[in-house]
Amino acid sequence: MRIWRLYTIHCKSVQKFIFISMKNHSDEGFDSLFEKKSNGAKNFAIVFFVIVIGLTSVYTYLSVGVVRDRMQVAKSQVEGAVSVDPSLIDLMKQKAWVESLIKMAAGDSVGLSIDLEQLTIQLELKGVVVMKSKIRDYSTSGFFRRMDGNVYFSTFGSPLTIVKFESSIEKNPFKVVIAPKNEAEAEAAVAKKDSVLDENVFWTVKFDRDFELNIQGIDSIAEAQSKYKLGKGFEFERDLRNIAKSFEHILKFSKPVYTPEILISIPENEAKAILRALPRKALVTIRI
Amino acid sequence: MIRNFFIYLAILAVGILFFASMVLFAIPALQESTLVLPGIKQSEYGSGDGTIDRASLERDISKLQAKLDKLTPADAYIIINTSENHFYLYKGKQMIRHGLCSTGKNERLVSEERNKEYVFFTPQGVKTVKGKQKNPVWAKPNWAFIEEGLPIPPPGDPSRFESGTLGAYKLTLGDGYMIHGTIYKRFIGQSVTHGCVRMLDEDLEAVYNTLQVGSKVYIY
Repeated sequence: MRIWRLYTIHCKSVQKFIFISMKNHSDEGFDSLFEKKSNGAKNFAIVFFVIVIGLTSVYTYLSVGVVRDRMQVAKSQVEGAVSVDPSLIDLMKQKAWVESLIKMAAGDSVGLSIDLEQLTIQLELKGVVVMKSKIRDYSTSGFFRRMDGNVYFSTFGSPLTIVKFESSIEKNPFKVVIAPKNEAEAEAAVAKKDSVLDENVFWTVKFDRDFELNIQGIDSIAEAQSKYKLGKGFEFERDLRNIAKSFEHILKFSKPVYTPEILISIPENEAKAILRALPRKALVTIRI
Repeated sequence: MIRNFFIYLAILAVGILFFASMVLFAIPALQESTLVLPGIKQSEYGSGDGTIDRASLERDISKLQAKLDKLTPADAYIIINTSENHFYLYKGKQMIRHGLCSTGKNERLVSEERNKEYVFFTPQGVKTVKGKQKNPVWAKPNWAFIEEGLPIPPPGDPSRFESGTLGAYKLTLGDGYMIHGTIYKRFIGQSVTHGCVRMLDEDLEAVYNTLQVGSKVYIY
Protein backbone atom coordinates (compact mmCIF):
# COMPACT_ATOMS: atom_id res chain seq x y z
CA MET A 1 0.00 0.00 0.00
CA ARG A 2 2.94 2.26 0.80
CA ILE A 3 4.28 1.66 -2.70
CA TRP A 4 0.92 2.53 -4.14
CA ARG A 5 0.86 5.79 -2.16
CA LEU A 6 4.38 6.66 -3.31
CA TYR A 7 3.40 5.76 -6.84
CA THR A 8 0.31 8.04 -6.72
CA ILE A 9 2.33 10.94 -5.30
CA HIS A 10 4.89 10.45 -8.05
CA CYS A 11 2.23 10.35 -10.75
CA LYS A 12 0.73 13.57 -9.44
CA SER A 13 4.10 15.34 -9.55
CA VAL A 14 4.70 14.12 -13.09
CA GLN A 15 1.28 15.42 -14.16
CA LYS A 16 1.99 18.76 -12.45
CA PHE A 17 5.34 18.97 -14.22
CA ILE A 18 3.67 18.39 -17.60
CA PHE A 19 0.95 20.91 -16.87
CA ILE A 20 3.40 23.65 -15.81
CA SER A 21 5.58 23.00 -18.87
CA MET A 22 2.55 23.25 -21.15
CA LYS A 23 1.57 26.54 -19.57
CA ASN A 24 5.06 28.06 -19.84
CA HIS A 25 5.35 27.16 -23.48
CA SER A 26 1.83 27.97 -24.57
CA ASP A 27 3.07 30.63 -27.04
CA GLU A 28 5.41 28.30 -28.87
CA GLY A 29 4.53 26.11 -31.81
CA PHE A 30 3.34 22.55 -31.36
CA ASP A 31 6.43 20.91 -32.90
CA SER A 32 8.96 22.72 -30.71
CA LEU A 33 6.79 21.99 -27.72
CA PHE A 34 6.80 18.28 -28.52
CA GLU A 35 10.56 18.30 -29.01
CA LYS A 36 11.07 19.93 -25.59
CA LYS A 37 8.72 17.38 -23.99
CA SER A 38 10.81 14.55 -25.44
CA ASN A 39 13.96 16.11 -24.01
CA GLY A 40 12.15 16.57 -20.69
CA ALA A 41 11.22 12.90 -20.60
CA LYS A 42 14.79 11.91 -21.42
CA ASN A 43 16.19 14.13 -18.69
CA PHE A 44 13.60 12.90 -16.26
CA ALA A 45 14.46 9.29 -17.11
CA ILE A 46 18.18 9.93 -16.59
CA VAL A 47 17.74 11.75 -13.28
CA PHE A 48 15.17 9.21 -12.09
CA PHE A 49 17.37 6.21 -12.86
CA VAL A 50 20.45 7.82 -11.34
CA ILE A 51 18.44 8.34 -8.14
CA VAL A 52 17.01 4.78 -8.20
CA ILE A 53 20.40 3.20 -8.87
CA GLY A 54 22.03 5.38 -6.22
CA LEU A 55 19.48 4.50 -3.58
CA THR A 56 19.56 0.83 -4.52
CA SER A 57 23.37 0.82 -4.24
CA VAL A 58 23.20 2.35 -0.77
CA TYR A 59 20.56 -0.18 0.22
CA THR A 60 22.62 -3.06 -1.19
CA TYR A 61 25.67 -1.89 0.75
CA LEU A 62 23.65 -1.71 3.98
CA SER A 63 22.03 -5.12 3.32
CA VAL A 64 25.38 -6.78 2.80
CA GLY A 65 26.83 -5.13 5.89
CA VAL A 66 24.03 -6.37 8.06
CA VAL A 67 24.83 -10.02 7.18
CA ARG A 68 28.39 -9.53 8.40
CA ASP A 69 27.04 -7.95 11.59
CA ARG A 70 24.68 -10.89 12.15
CA MET A 71 27.52 -13.36 11.80
CA GLN A 72 29.74 -11.33 14.12
CA VAL A 73 27.01 -11.21 16.78
CA ALA A 74 26.58 -14.99 16.53
CA LYS A 75 30.34 -15.53 16.84
CA SER A 76 30.72 -13.13 19.76
CA GLN A 77 28.09 -15.12 21.70
CA VAL A 78 30.31 -18.21 21.68
CA GLU A 79 33.67 -16.53 22.19
CA GLY A 80 36.13 -18.50 24.32
CA ALA A 81 34.72 -21.93 23.44
CA VAL A 82 37.42 -24.56 22.99
CA SER A 83 37.97 -26.01 19.53
CA VAL A 84 37.92 -29.78 19.11
CA ASP A 85 38.86 -32.34 16.51
CA PRO A 86 36.69 -31.62 13.44
CA SER A 87 36.33 -35.37 12.90
CA LEU A 88 34.11 -35.51 16.00
CA ILE A 89 31.71 -32.91 14.79
CA ASP A 90 29.15 -35.37 13.39
CA LEU A 91 29.04 -37.27 16.70
CA MET A 92 28.67 -34.02 18.61
CA LYS A 93 25.83 -32.96 16.34
CA GLN A 94 24.18 -36.34 16.89
CA LYS A 95 24.50 -35.96 20.66
CA ALA A 96 23.11 -32.41 20.59
CA TRP A 97 20.21 -33.63 18.43
CA VAL A 98 19.19 -36.49 20.77
CA GLU A 99 19.62 -34.28 23.85
CA SER A 100 17.41 -31.67 22.27
CA LEU A 101 14.73 -34.27 21.41
CA ILE A 102 14.72 -35.47 25.03
CA LYS A 103 14.32 -31.90 26.30
CA MET A 104 11.45 -31.36 23.86
CA ALA A 105 9.76 -34.57 25.08
CA ALA A 106 9.66 -33.20 28.62
CA GLY A 107 6.83 -30.83 27.62
CA ASP A 108 3.14 -31.78 27.31
CA SER A 109 2.61 -30.20 23.91
CA VAL A 110 3.23 -31.32 20.37
CA GLY A 111 6.75 -30.51 19.20
CA LEU A 112 8.39 -30.50 15.78
CA SER A 113 11.69 -32.09 14.84
CA ILE A 114 13.39 -31.34 11.54
CA ASP A 115 16.29 -33.46 10.40
CA LEU A 116 17.85 -32.01 7.26
CA GLU A 117 20.45 -34.81 7.23
CA GLN A 118 17.85 -37.57 7.00
CA LEU A 119 15.35 -35.30 5.20
CA THR A 120 12.56 -35.96 7.67
CA ILE A 121 10.15 -33.75 9.55
CA GLN A 122 8.32 -35.22 12.53
CA LEU A 123 5.60 -34.24 14.96
CA GLU A 124 6.36 -35.57 18.40
CA LEU A 125 4.28 -35.85 21.53
CA LYS A 126 6.04 -36.78 24.77
CA GLY A 127 8.85 -38.36 22.76
CA VAL A 128 6.53 -40.44 20.56
CA VAL A 129 6.65 -39.77 16.84
CA VAL A 130 3.02 -39.17 15.89
CA MET A 131 3.65 -38.06 12.32
CA LYS A 132 6.61 -38.43 10.01
CA SER A 133 6.99 -36.80 6.63
CA LYS A 134 9.70 -36.92 4.00
CA ILE A 135 11.15 -33.53 3.09
CA ARG A 136 10.86 -33.15 -0.69
CA ASP A 137 13.07 -30.14 -1.08
CA TYR A 138 14.79 -27.58 1.14
CA SER A 139 17.11 -24.62 1.13
CA THR A 140 18.93 -22.78 3.88
CA SER A 141 20.46 -19.33 4.13
CA GLY A 142 24.20 -19.03 3.73
CA PHE A 143 24.33 -18.15 7.43
CA PHE A 144 23.62 -21.78 8.34
CA ARG A 145 26.02 -23.21 5.80
CA ARG A 146 28.83 -20.96 6.98
CA MET A 147 28.33 -21.16 10.74
CA ASP A 148 31.12 -22.74 12.75
CA GLY A 149 30.64 -25.49 15.34
CA ASN A 150 30.19 -23.21 18.32
CA VAL A 151 27.59 -21.07 16.56
CA TYR A 152 25.87 -24.28 15.43
CA PHE A 153 25.58 -25.64 18.98
CA SER A 154 24.42 -22.32 20.40
CA THR A 155 21.73 -22.19 17.69
CA PHE A 156 20.56 -25.81 17.48
CA GLY A 157 21.92 -27.37 20.69
CA SER A 158 18.59 -27.08 22.50
CA PRO A 159 14.96 -26.82 21.35
CA LEU A 160 13.95 -23.56 19.71
CA THR A 161 10.74 -21.81 20.71
CA ILE A 162 8.35 -20.38 18.15
CA VAL A 163 7.69 -16.71 18.84
CA LYS A 164 5.67 -15.76 15.76
CA PHE A 165 3.32 -17.67 13.47
CA GLU A 166 2.00 -16.60 10.05
CA SER A 167 0.14 -18.76 7.58
CA SER A 168 -1.66 -18.60 4.27
CA ILE A 169 -4.55 -20.62 5.72
CA GLU A 170 -6.29 -20.28 9.05
CA LYS A 171 -4.35 -22.07 11.77
CA ASN A 172 -7.29 -23.19 13.88
CA PRO A 173 -10.50 -22.66 11.94
CA PHE A 174 -13.55 -22.52 14.17
CA LYS A 175 -17.14 -22.10 13.04
CA VAL A 176 -19.83 -20.44 15.11
CA VAL A 177 -23.29 -21.93 14.57
CA ILE A 178 -26.56 -20.60 15.94
CA ALA A 179 -28.80 -23.45 17.07
CA PRO A 180 -31.75 -24.15 14.75
CA LYS A 181 -35.22 -23.11 15.88
CA ASN A 182 -36.82 -26.41 14.94
CA GLU A 183 -36.25 -29.81 13.32
CA ALA A 184 -36.86 -28.52 9.79
CA GLU A 185 -34.16 -25.88 10.15
CA ALA A 186 -31.77 -28.50 11.62
CA GLU A 187 -32.28 -30.80 8.62
CA ALA A 188 -31.67 -27.92 6.19
CA ALA A 189 -28.36 -27.15 7.98
CA VAL A 190 -27.22 -30.78 7.65
CA ALA A 191 -28.01 -30.80 3.92
CA LYS A 192 -25.85 -27.70 3.32
CA LYS A 193 -22.26 -28.79 2.71
CA ASP A 194 -19.04 -26.83 2.54
CA SER A 195 -17.20 -26.72 -0.76
CA VAL A 196 -13.67 -28.09 -0.99
CA LEU A 197 -11.16 -25.25 -1.24
CA ASP A 198 -8.03 -25.25 -3.34
CA GLU A 199 -5.66 -24.10 -0.62
CA ASN A 200 -2.18 -22.76 -1.03
CA VAL A 201 -0.51 -24.00 2.16
CA PHE A 202 2.42 -21.87 3.20
CA TRP A 203 3.37 -21.01 6.75
CA THR A 204 6.24 -19.34 8.42
CA VAL A 205 7.47 -19.16 12.00
CA LYS A 206 10.06 -17.03 13.71
CA PHE A 207 12.18 -18.51 16.48
CA ASP A 208 13.55 -17.09 19.70
CA ARG A 209 17.03 -17.36 18.15
CA ASP A 210 16.15 -14.86 15.46
CA PHE A 211 15.71 -16.88 12.31
CA GLU A 212 12.75 -18.13 10.31
CA LEU A 213 11.40 -21.45 9.16
CA ASN A 214 9.19 -21.46 6.09
CA ILE A 215 7.13 -24.51 5.26
CA GLN A 216 5.44 -24.81 1.90
CA GLY A 217 2.99 -27.47 0.89
CA ILE A 218 3.66 -28.93 -2.54
CA ASP A 219 2.27 -31.79 -4.54
CA SER A 220 5.35 -32.32 -6.73
CA ILE A 221 9.02 -31.38 -6.93
CA ALA A 222 8.27 -29.30 -10.02
CA GLU A 223 5.87 -27.26 -7.95
CA ALA A 224 8.56 -26.65 -5.33
CA GLN A 225 11.04 -25.51 -7.94
CA SER A 226 8.63 -23.10 -9.60
CA LYS A 227 7.05 -22.08 -6.35
CA TYR A 228 7.32 -18.34 -6.72
CA LYS A 229 3.62 -17.77 -7.18
CA LEU A 230 3.25 -14.09 -7.86
CA GLY A 231 -0.32 -13.22 -7.12
CA LYS A 232 -0.84 -16.16 -4.76
CA GLY A 233 -2.04 -14.06 -1.85
CA PHE A 234 0.22 -14.88 1.07
CA GLU A 235 3.62 -14.86 -0.67
CA PHE A 236 2.68 -11.83 -2.76
CA GLU A 237 1.68 -9.89 0.35
CA ARG A 238 4.97 -10.83 2.03
CA ASP A 239 6.93 -9.62 -0.99
CA LEU A 240 5.03 -6.34 -1.05
CA ARG A 241 5.71 -5.89 2.65
CA ASN A 242 9.42 -6.53 2.05
CA ILE A 243 9.58 -3.95 -0.73
CA ALA A 244 7.73 -1.42 1.42
CA LYS A 245 10.10 -2.08 4.33
CA SER A 246 13.09 -1.62 2.03
CA PHE A 247 11.73 1.76 0.91
CA GLU A 248 11.34 2.71 4.54
CA HIS A 249 14.96 1.79 5.28
CA ILE A 250 16.15 3.75 2.27
CA LEU A 251 14.20 6.84 3.25
CA LYS A 252 15.54 6.63 6.80
CA PHE A 253 19.04 5.55 5.71
CA SER A 254 18.78 2.78 8.31
CA LYS A 255 20.21 -0.73 8.16
CA PRO A 256 17.78 -3.40 7.01
CA VAL A 257 17.22 -6.52 9.11
CA TYR A 258 18.81 -9.80 8.05
CA THR A 259 16.89 -12.88 9.14
CA PRO A 260 18.36 -16.22 8.05
CA GLU A 261 15.77 -18.65 6.70
CA ILE A 262 15.16 -22.35 6.24
CA LEU A 263 12.67 -23.23 3.52
CA ILE A 264 11.21 -26.73 3.52
CA SER A 265 8.82 -28.30 1.01
CA ILE A 266 6.62 -31.19 2.12
CA PRO A 267 3.33 -32.65 0.84
CA GLU A 268 0.50 -30.16 1.15
CA ASN A 269 -1.75 -32.24 3.43
CA GLU A 270 1.16 -32.85 5.81
CA ALA A 271 2.12 -29.16 5.83
CA LYS A 272 -1.47 -28.45 6.81
CA ALA A 273 -1.59 -31.18 9.48
CA ILE A 274 1.62 -29.89 11.11
CA LEU A 275 0.37 -26.30 11.03
CA ARG A 276 -2.88 -27.30 12.74
CA ALA A 277 -1.16 -29.51 15.32
CA LEU A 278 1.59 -27.16 16.47
CA PRO A 279 0.83 -24.92 19.43
CA ARG A 280 1.61 -21.22 18.95
CA LYS A 281 4.65 -21.38 21.25
CA ALA A 282 5.75 -24.86 20.21
CA LEU A 283 9.24 -26.25 20.68
CA VAL A 284 11.21 -27.18 17.58
CA THR A 285 14.41 -29.20 17.25
CA ILE A 286 16.50 -28.86 14.11
CA ARG A 287 19.51 -30.72 12.78
CA ILE A 288 21.33 -29.38 9.73
CA MET B 1 0.09 15.27 -23.40
CA ILE B 2 -1.39 11.79 -22.81
CA ARG B 3 1.52 10.27 -24.74
CA ASN B 4 4.04 12.05 -22.52
CA PHE B 5 2.13 11.01 -19.43
CA PHE B 6 2.52 7.38 -20.47
CA ILE B 7 6.22 7.88 -21.15
CA TYR B 8 6.74 9.17 -17.59
CA LEU B 9 4.56 6.38 -16.27
CA ALA B 10 6.65 3.79 -18.12
CA ILE B 11 9.88 5.29 -16.73
CA LEU B 12 8.41 5.16 -13.25
CA ALA B 13 7.21 1.57 -13.68
CA VAL B 14 10.62 0.43 -14.93
CA GLY B 15 12.27 2.12 -11.95
CA ILE B 16 9.92 0.46 -9.49
CA LEU B 17 10.33 -2.93 -11.16
CA PHE B 18 14.09 -2.55 -11.05
CA PHE B 19 14.03 -1.72 -7.36
CA ALA B 20 11.56 -4.53 -6.56
CA SER B 21 13.64 -7.13 -8.39
CA MET B 22 16.76 -5.92 -6.58
CA VAL B 23 15.06 -6.19 -3.20
CA LEU B 24 13.41 -9.56 -3.88
CA PHE B 25 16.11 -11.36 -5.83
CA ALA B 26 19.45 -9.64 -6.37
CA ILE B 27 20.16 -8.35 -2.85
CA PRO B 28 19.22 -11.63 -1.08
CA ALA B 29 21.40 -13.49 -3.59
CA LEU B 30 24.26 -11.12 -2.88
CA GLN B 31 23.74 -11.51 0.87
CA GLU B 32 23.92 -15.26 0.50
CA SER B 33 26.96 -15.28 -1.71
CA THR B 34 30.23 -16.42 -0.23
CA LEU B 35 31.76 -13.02 -0.95
CA VAL B 36 29.87 -11.39 1.87
CA LEU B 37 30.48 -14.15 4.41
CA PRO B 38 34.27 -14.16 4.67
CA GLY B 39 36.49 -15.55 7.38
CA ILE B 40 34.15 -18.30 8.47
CA LYS B 41 35.54 -21.71 7.79
CA GLN B 42 33.80 -25.04 8.18
CA SER B 43 36.77 -26.43 10.17
CA GLU B 44 36.46 -24.01 13.09
CA TYR B 45 34.36 -26.37 15.15
CA GLY B 46 34.23 -26.37 18.91
CA SER B 47 32.09 -27.70 21.71
CA GLY B 48 33.20 -25.71 24.72
CA ASP B 49 34.73 -28.87 26.17
CA GLY B 50 38.28 -29.82 25.25
CA THR B 51 38.21 -33.22 27.01
CA ILE B 52 35.74 -34.92 24.65
CA ASP B 53 36.87 -38.05 22.85
CA ARG B 54 35.16 -40.33 20.35
CA ALA B 55 34.52 -43.23 22.73
CA SER B 56 32.85 -41.12 25.42
CA LEU B 57 30.75 -39.36 22.81
CA GLU B 58 29.52 -42.67 21.39
CA ARG B 59 28.73 -43.93 24.90
CA ASP B 60 26.74 -40.76 25.67
CA ILE B 61 24.80 -40.99 22.41
CA SER B 62 23.77 -44.61 22.95
CA LYS B 63 22.63 -43.82 26.52
CA LEU B 64 20.63 -40.83 25.35
CA GLN B 65 19.14 -42.78 22.44
CA ALA B 66 18.03 -45.54 24.82
CA LYS B 67 16.41 -42.91 27.06
CA LEU B 68 14.61 -41.45 24.05
CA ASP B 69 13.44 -44.87 22.82
CA LYS B 70 11.96 -45.65 26.22
CA LEU B 71 9.52 -42.78 25.79
CA THR B 72 7.63 -44.75 23.12
CA PRO B 73 5.28 -47.23 24.85
CA ALA B 74 6.24 -50.87 24.41
CA ASP B 75 2.59 -51.97 24.72
CA ALA B 76 -0.35 -50.92 22.54
CA TYR B 77 -1.17 -47.30 21.79
CA ILE B 78 -3.08 -45.33 19.20
CA ILE B 79 -2.36 -42.10 17.32
CA ILE B 80 -5.23 -39.94 16.06
CA ASN B 81 -4.62 -37.34 13.34
CA THR B 82 -7.48 -34.83 13.69
CA SER B 83 -6.44 -32.83 10.63
CA GLU B 84 -6.74 -35.74 8.20
CA ASN B 85 -9.07 -37.92 10.31
CA HIS B 86 -6.78 -40.94 10.37
CA PHE B 87 -5.89 -43.36 13.13
CA TYR B 88 -2.76 -45.49 13.54
CA LEU B 89 -2.85 -48.42 15.97
CA TYR B 90 0.48 -49.64 17.35
CA LYS B 91 1.46 -52.73 19.29
CA GLY B 92 5.04 -53.44 20.39
CA LYS B 93 6.20 -50.34 18.46
CA GLN B 94 4.80 -51.81 15.22
CA MET B 95 1.85 -50.29 13.40
CA ILE B 96 -0.75 -53.04 13.18
CA ARG B 97 -3.69 -51.16 11.72
CA HIS B 98 -4.55 -47.77 10.30
CA GLY B 99 -7.59 -46.24 8.72
CA LEU B 100 -10.10 -43.45 8.63
CA CYS B 101 -11.94 -42.04 11.60
CA SER B 102 -13.95 -38.92 12.34
CA THR B 103 -12.95 -36.25 14.82
CA GLY B 104 -14.26 -32.95 16.21
CA LYS B 105 -15.84 -30.47 13.83
CA ASN B 106 -14.28 -27.37 15.46
CA GLU B 107 -17.56 -25.64 15.96
CA ARG B 108 -19.10 -23.41 18.60
CA LEU B 109 -22.85 -23.99 18.94
CA VAL B 110 -24.75 -21.05 20.40
CA SER B 111 -28.24 -21.75 21.69
CA GLU B 112 -31.08 -19.87 20.02
CA GLU B 113 -31.50 -17.64 23.08
CA ARG B 114 -27.70 -16.91 22.94
CA ASN B 115 -27.36 -17.83 26.60
CA LYS B 116 -25.50 -21.14 26.22
CA GLU B 117 -22.45 -22.18 24.22
CA TYR B 118 -21.10 -25.61 23.40
CA VAL B 119 -17.66 -26.09 21.87
CA PHE B 120 -17.08 -29.17 19.72
CA PHE B 121 -13.47 -30.13 19.10
CA THR B 122 -11.14 -33.06 19.77
CA PRO B 123 -8.53 -31.96 22.32
CA GLN B 124 -4.91 -32.55 21.34
CA GLY B 125 -2.34 -34.14 23.61
CA VAL B 126 -1.81 -37.45 25.38
CA LYS B 127 -4.86 -39.20 26.87
CA THR B 128 -5.23 -42.62 28.44
CA VAL B 129 -8.00 -45.16 28.05
CA LYS B 130 -9.99 -44.83 31.27
CA GLY B 131 -12.58 -47.51 30.59
CA LYS B 132 -13.98 -49.95 28.02
CA GLN B 133 -17.57 -51.02 27.44
CA LYS B 134 -19.46 -53.31 25.06
CA ASN B 135 -22.87 -52.32 23.64
CA PRO B 136 -22.83 -48.85 25.16
CA VAL B 137 -25.96 -46.75 25.57
CA TRP B 138 -25.63 -43.09 24.69
CA ALA B 139 -26.94 -40.70 27.31
CA LYS B 140 -27.73 -37.70 25.13
CA PRO B 141 -26.47 -34.42 26.57
CA ASN B 142 -28.41 -31.12 26.22
CA TRP B 143 -26.51 -30.00 23.13
CA ALA B 144 -27.79 -33.00 21.17
CA PHE B 145 -31.34 -31.64 21.54
CA ILE B 146 -30.36 -28.00 20.97
CA GLU B 147 -28.54 -28.96 17.79
CA GLU B 148 -31.61 -30.76 16.44
CA GLY B 149 -33.95 -27.91 17.31
CA LEU B 150 -35.76 -30.06 19.87
CA PRO B 151 -36.92 -29.12 23.37
CA ILE B 152 -34.55 -30.26 26.15
CA PRO B 153 -36.10 -33.11 28.16
CA PRO B 154 -35.56 -33.38 31.93
CA PRO B 155 -32.62 -35.47 33.24
CA GLY B 156 -33.38 -39.21 33.24
CA ASP B 157 -36.08 -38.84 30.58
CA PRO B 158 -36.22 -42.00 28.37
CA SER B 159 -35.70 -39.84 25.24
CA ARG B 160 -32.17 -39.12 26.46
CA PHE B 161 -31.02 -42.73 26.08
CA GLU B 162 -30.18 -44.33 22.74
CA SER B 163 -28.87 -47.83 22.07
CA GLY B 164 -26.76 -48.60 19.00
CA THR B 165 -25.79 -44.99 18.23
CA LEU B 166 -22.26 -45.50 19.63
CA GLY B 167 -21.72 -48.83 17.88
CA ALA B 168 -20.70 -52.07 19.55
CA TYR B 169 -17.91 -50.69 21.77
CA LYS B 170 -16.74 -47.55 23.48
CA LEU B 171 -13.43 -46.60 25.08
CA THR B 172 -13.66 -43.62 27.42
CA LEU B 173 -10.82 -41.07 27.49
CA GLY B 174 -12.06 -38.79 30.27
CA ASP B 175 -13.81 -35.39 30.23
CA GLY B 176 -16.68 -36.91 28.24
CA TYR B 177 -14.52 -37.84 25.25
CA MET B 178 -14.70 -41.36 23.79
CA ILE B 179 -13.65 -43.61 20.94
CA HIS B 180 -16.80 -45.28 19.64
CA GLY B 181 -18.65 -46.52 16.58
CA THR B 182 -21.28 -44.74 14.52
CA ILE B 183 -24.44 -45.19 12.54
CA TYR B 184 -23.36 -42.32 10.24
CA LYS B 185 -20.75 -44.35 8.36
CA ARG B 186 -20.78 -42.09 5.30
CA PHE B 187 -19.20 -39.31 7.38
CA ILE B 188 -16.14 -41.35 8.38
CA GLY B 189 -13.02 -39.46 7.33
CA GLN B 190 -14.62 -36.08 7.96
CA SER B 191 -14.43 -33.66 10.88
CA VAL B 192 -18.04 -34.00 12.00
CA THR B 193 -18.10 -35.17 15.60
CA HIS B 194 -18.70 -33.29 18.82
CA GLY B 195 -15.20 -34.15 20.03
CA CYS B 196 -15.29 -37.95 20.22
CA VAL B 197 -13.43 -40.19 17.81
CA ARG B 198 -15.76 -42.25 15.62
CA MET B 199 -14.63 -45.40 13.83
CA LEU B 200 -15.99 -48.02 11.47
CA ASP B 201 -17.14 -51.30 13.09
CA GLU B 202 -14.14 -53.48 12.16
CA ASP B 203 -11.60 -50.82 13.09
CA LEU B 204 -13.36 -50.18 16.38
CA GLU B 205 -13.34 -53.88 17.23
CA ALA B 206 -9.58 -54.09 16.54
CA VAL B 207 -8.92 -50.99 18.63
CA TYR B 208 -11.15 -52.29 21.44
CA ASN B 209 -9.36 -55.65 21.49
CA THR B 210 -5.86 -54.15 21.28
CA LEU B 211 -6.01 -51.22 23.70
CA GLN B 212 -6.26 -51.86 27.42
CA VAL B 213 -7.33 -49.58 30.22
CA GLY B 214 -4.29 -47.33 30.72
CA SER B 215 -3.18 -47.48 27.07
CA LYS B 216 -2.00 -44.18 25.65
CA VAL B 217 -3.97 -42.21 23.06
CA TYR B 218 -1.93 -39.57 21.22
CA ILE B 219 -4.08 -36.95 19.55
CA TYR B 220 -2.71 -34.24 17.27
